[in-house]
Amino acid sequence: MNALTWLVVLPVLGAVVVALIPRGRDELIRPLGLALTIPALAVAGWVAFNFEVGDPFFQFTVDHTLSEELGIGWRLGVDGISLWMVVLTAVLFPLAIAASTSITKRPRHFVIAMLILETGLLGVFVALDLLLFFAFFEVVLVPMYMLIGVWGSGNRRYASMKFLLFSAVGSIFLLDGIIALGVLAGDAVGTVANFDHRVILDIPLSSTAQLLLFLTFGFAFAVKVPIVPLHTWLADAHTEAPTAGSVILAGVLLKMGGYGFLRFNMTLFPEATVDLAFAIAVLGVVGIVYGAVVAIVQPDVKRLVAYSSISHMGFVILGIFALTSQGLSGGVFVMLSHGLVTGALFLLVGMLYDRRHTRRIDDYGGIATVMPIYAGFFLFMAFASIGLPGLSGFVGEFAVLIGSYLTLPVLAIIGASGVVLAAIYLLWAYERIFTGPITNSANAELRDLGFREIAIIAPLIVLVLAIGIYPKPILDRIQPSVDLILDRIEATTTYEVPDNGFTPDEGSG
Amino acid sequence: MNNASFLPIAPEVFLLVGALGVILLAVLLDRPTREWGIVAVFSLATAAAASVLQWSALDEGADNLYFSAQGIPVVRLPMVVMDHFSAYSGVLIFGVALLGLAAAWPLIESLGSRGAEFVTLLLLSVAGLHMMTASANIVMVFLGLETASIALYVLAGFTRERLDADEAAVKYFLLGSLASAIFIYGGALLFAGTGSTAFYGAGSMRTFLSGFIVTEPAILLLGMGLVIVGLAFKVSAAPFHQWAPDVYSGAPGGIVGLMVAGVKIAGFAALARILIGGLPSQIDDWSPLLAVISGASMIIGTVLAVVQTDVKRILAYSGVAHAGYILLALVAGRDGIGSMWFYLTTYALTLIGAFTVASIVAGPRNGRSPLPEWAGLSSRAPWLAWSMLIMLLAMSGIPFTSGFIAKIGVFSSATDAGYLWLMVLALLTMVVGMYVYFRVAAVMFMDDPHDDGPLLIPATSAVALVFATVATVLLGLVPWPLLEIVREALPL
Repeated sequence: MNALTWLVVLPVLGAVVVALIPRGRDELIRPLGLALTIPALAVAGWVAFNFEVGDPFFQFTVDHTLSEELGIGWRLGVDGISLWMVVLTAVLFPLAIAASTSITKRPRHFVIAMLILETGLLGVFVALDLLLFFAFFEVVLVPMYMLIGVWGSGNRRYASMKFLLFSAVGSIFLLDGIIALGVLAGDAVGTVANFDHRVILDIPLSSTAQLLLFLTFGFAFAVKVPIVPLHTWLADAHTEAPTAGSVILAGVLLKMGGYGFLRFNMTLFPEATVDLAFAIAVLGVVGIVYGAVVAIVQPDVKRLVAYSSISHMGFVILGIFALTSQGLSGGVFVMLSHGLVTGALFLLVGMLYDRRHTRRIDDYGGIATVMPIYAGFFLFMAFASIGLPGLSGFVGEFAVLIGSYLTLPVLAIIGASGVVLAAIYLLWAYERIFTGPITNSANAELRDLGFREIAIIAPLIVLVLAIGIYPKPILDRIQPSVDLILDRIEATTTYEVPDNGFTPDEGSG
Repeated sequence: MNNASFLPIAPEVFLLVGALGVILLAVLLDRPTREWGIVAVFSLATAAAASVLQWSALDEGADNLYFSAQGIPVVRLPMVVMDHFSAYSGVLIFGVALLGLAAAWPLIESLGSRGAEFVTLLLLSVAGLHMMTASANIVMVFLGLETASIALYVLAGFTRERLDADEAAVKYFLLGSLASAIFIYGGALLFAGTGSTAFYGAGSMRTFLSGFIVTEPAILLLGMGLVIVGLAFKVSAAPFHQWAPDVYSGAPGGIVGLMVAGVKIAGFAALARILIGGLPSQIDDWSPLLAVISGASMIIGTVLAVVQTDVKRILAYSGVAHAGYILLALVAGRDGIGSMWFYLTTYALTLIGAFTVASIVAGPRNGRSPLPEWAGLSSRAPWLAWSMLIMLLAMSGIPFTSGFIAKIGVFSSATDAGYLWLMVLALLTMVVGMYVYFRVAAVMFMDDPHDDGPLLIPATSAVALVFATVATVLLGLVPWPLLEIVREALPL
C-alpha cells in the first residue's frame, strides 16, 4: 500500500483498536492512544524525508478509481504545500493526546474522537479528488463537535453547536461548488461526473463560472481560516474546547482554510483569484488588526490566544492573496509556524488551567516565582508568536510582508502593525500573569511543570527554534509548488507576478 | 399457466403461505411460541430468494415478464410485472422486513397469544408493499396499497391499552383511507384519460400516450395529480404529512421502523412505477409537481423538526424532509431511479436502526420518546448511543456514512435534470437538518443521564441494530457495488 494511504488509514485503524479493547483499564487508554498516533507520525516523517526537493508536482501519488461513472477515486498526493500541513498534523496529535491527562470522563471515546479527527485532517491535506477532499473536510466536523461539546468547559453546548453550524453552512456551499464542477468535468470527459483534481484543472471555465465557484469554495474556506467577519465561531470554540481540542483547532483545523484557498481556489479559478485578490487581502489585513486589537482586551487568556489566531491567519490570507512567490511561501510558512506556536501556547494555557481551573488573567499574577520553567516556556512561545527574529514566527511573517509589499504596499504597511500589536497583547498578558509579587494566595502553591509536561513542550521548542534559525529546508520544498500555482495564474490570466525583490531561497533549487 | 408466469408473483405467494402458516400454528399450538417467528423469517427469506431468482432470470433473458388477468375477453391485461425494478424492490422490502421483524420481536413476545395476529398482519402488509412496486396495472397498485395499509392500521393500534396508540391508529386509518380514496379517484381519471389501467403492453396508458396527442389534457392532468397526492400522503411528503408525527410517536415502538421504512420504499417505488412506467411521456407535466412537493417537504420537514422535543417526532418530521430529498431523484425521471434506490436503501436501513434504538430506549410497546429520556445514553449504553450516532450522521449526510453518497446521488440527479434551484434548497435545508440531528447527538453524549438504570437490549433488536449500523458504515465506505446494482434496477 502507498505511504499516503497508510498515513490516512493508520489513525482510524487505531480508533478501531481502541474501540475493541476490553472494558476497564481506563488508565491505559490514553497511553495507548498516544502510541497509536506514532505510526502516522513515522509515516509522515518518512514522507518528508523522502520528499524530492525541487519537484513542484504531487509526489507519492495514488490513483485508484472507485467509480468510473461518477469519476470518484482514491486519489492522494503531497506537494511542497501539503507536505508541511501533514507533518504539522502528525506532530501535534501525539502531543495533544499526551497533554490530555485531565480528561477523565469517558477517555475511550475521547481517544477515538481524536484518532478519527486525525484521519480526517490528514485526508484533507492529501486528497486530490474533490469529493474525497470534501468527505474528509466534512468528517472532521463530527469528532471536533464531540470534543468541544463533551469535554469542553462552561458554555460547551453553545460553542460546539455554533462551530458545527458555521462550518456546515460553509461546507454546504463547498459541496454545491464541487458538485457543479464535477458535473461540468464529467461533461468534458463523457461521464456523469468527474472529481479528479487534474481533470478539473483542464476544463475551461467562463469568468462568471469562475467567479461563482470561487465564491462557493471561498466561503467554506473563509469560515475555516477564519476571515473576518466569519470568525465569530472561533473564539467560542477555542475557548470552550478542551486543551487537545484547542490545539488541534488552532494548530491544524484553521489551516484547512488556507490550504483550501491555495489548492483549489487559486489553481482552479485563476481569473477569479486575480479579480478578487485585493478584496480578500483587505479582509486579511482587517483580520490582522482586528484580531490583535480584540486580543489586547481579553480578560481570558485562552480567548486571547484564540483572537491572536485570527490575527496570524490574517497574515496567511494577506500573503496568499498578494500573489507573489514570497507572499505565498510566507503564507504557507506562517501556517506551519502558527500551528506549532499556537499549539504550544494552548498546551501551556491548558497546563495552567489544569492546576488552577481558571483562565482569567486577573486570577494570576507573579506566578513566575513559583513556576519558573513554565514562565520561561511561555515567554519563549510568546516571542515566537510575536515574530522575534530567530524564531519561526519571524520567517513567515517577514516573507509575507515582503511579498505583499511588492503588490499591495499599503496593506503590507498596515499589516505590519500586527507584529507590534502582537507584542502588546502577549507581553502585557505575560506581565499580568507572571511578573510581580504573588497577589492571589491560591497561586502560591502552584507546582512547576513536571517531566511529562516538559517533554510535551520541548519538541515544539526545538522545532520553533530550528525552523526559525534555518528555514531553508522548509522553504526549498514550499517554493517550487507555490511557483507552480503562480505560473498557472500567469499562463491563464493577464496578471504578471512581480519578480523583483527578495527571494527567501535565492540560488537554490 | 406455465411455470414461468408464476415467477412474477412468487414472492407474494410465499408471504401469503407464511401468513397462513402462522395463523395455523397459532390455532394448532394455542400458545405463544417462537415458531411464528421461524415461519415468518422463512417466508420472508424465500420471498427474498424468489426476488433474487427473478433478477437472475431477467439477466438470462426471461421472456414471461407478466402475470396477466386470465379470462378477460378483450385483451389480456398485464397485472403484475417482473423486471429488475420489482426484483430489487423485493430484495429490499423483504430484507428490511426481516430486520424490522427482528426489531419488533420483543414487542411480539410481549403481546402473548395475540402475537400470531401481529406476525400475520406484518407478513400481509409486506406482501402488499411489494405488490405496489411490482404492479403492471394501477388497480394492482391500489390493491397492494390497501392490503398493506389496512394491515398497518391495525398494527399501529395494536397496543390498545394505550390511548395514544388508539389515537395514532384512528388518525392513520382516517387519513390513510382518504389518501387511498384520492389515489383511486386519480386512477379512475387516468383510465378516463387514456382508456387503460395498465402501464405496459398493448392498449396500455403508455402506448396510448405515445400514440396519440392528448388534445384535452385536463382529465389526464387531474388524474396524475391525484395519484401523486395519494402516494405523497403515504410517504408523508409535505403538505400531506400531518398524520406522520402522531402515528410515529403513538404506534408501538417496536414496529414503527418497519412500518415507516416499508411504506417509504413501496410508496416511492409505486410512484416511480406509475409515473416512469406508465406515464413516461408526460414527464414535463409531473416533474414540476414533484419538484414543488419536494421543495415543500424539505422546508416544512426540517423546520418543524427543529422545534420537536420527542425523538420519534423528530424522526417523523425528518422523514418528511427525506421524502423531499428522495423526490429530488424522481424529478429526473428514469435517470434518477438509481439514485432513488440507493437513497431508499440507505435511508430504510437508518430508519430501522434509529427506531430500533428508540424502541429500546422507550420500550417496545410504548410510543412517545421525549428527548430528556435520551440524556446521557452514551454512558448508560455506549454501543446503543454510537449506533444511534451513526444513524443520525447518515441522516444528516456526513461523509463515510451511506447518507453522504445517497445525497450526492440525488443532488446530481436533480442538477442533471436542470433543477439547480431545488438542489440549492436541498443543501440549505441540510444545514438545518444537521442542527436537528446533532441536537439529538448532543443530548445523548453531552447531557448527564437522569436515569442510571442499565438498558436491557434484547438479542433480536441487537441483531437488527448491528446489521443496520454495519451496513450504514459499509455503504458509506464502499458504496460502489450497490451503485452498480441499483443502476440496473430500472422499470420496464
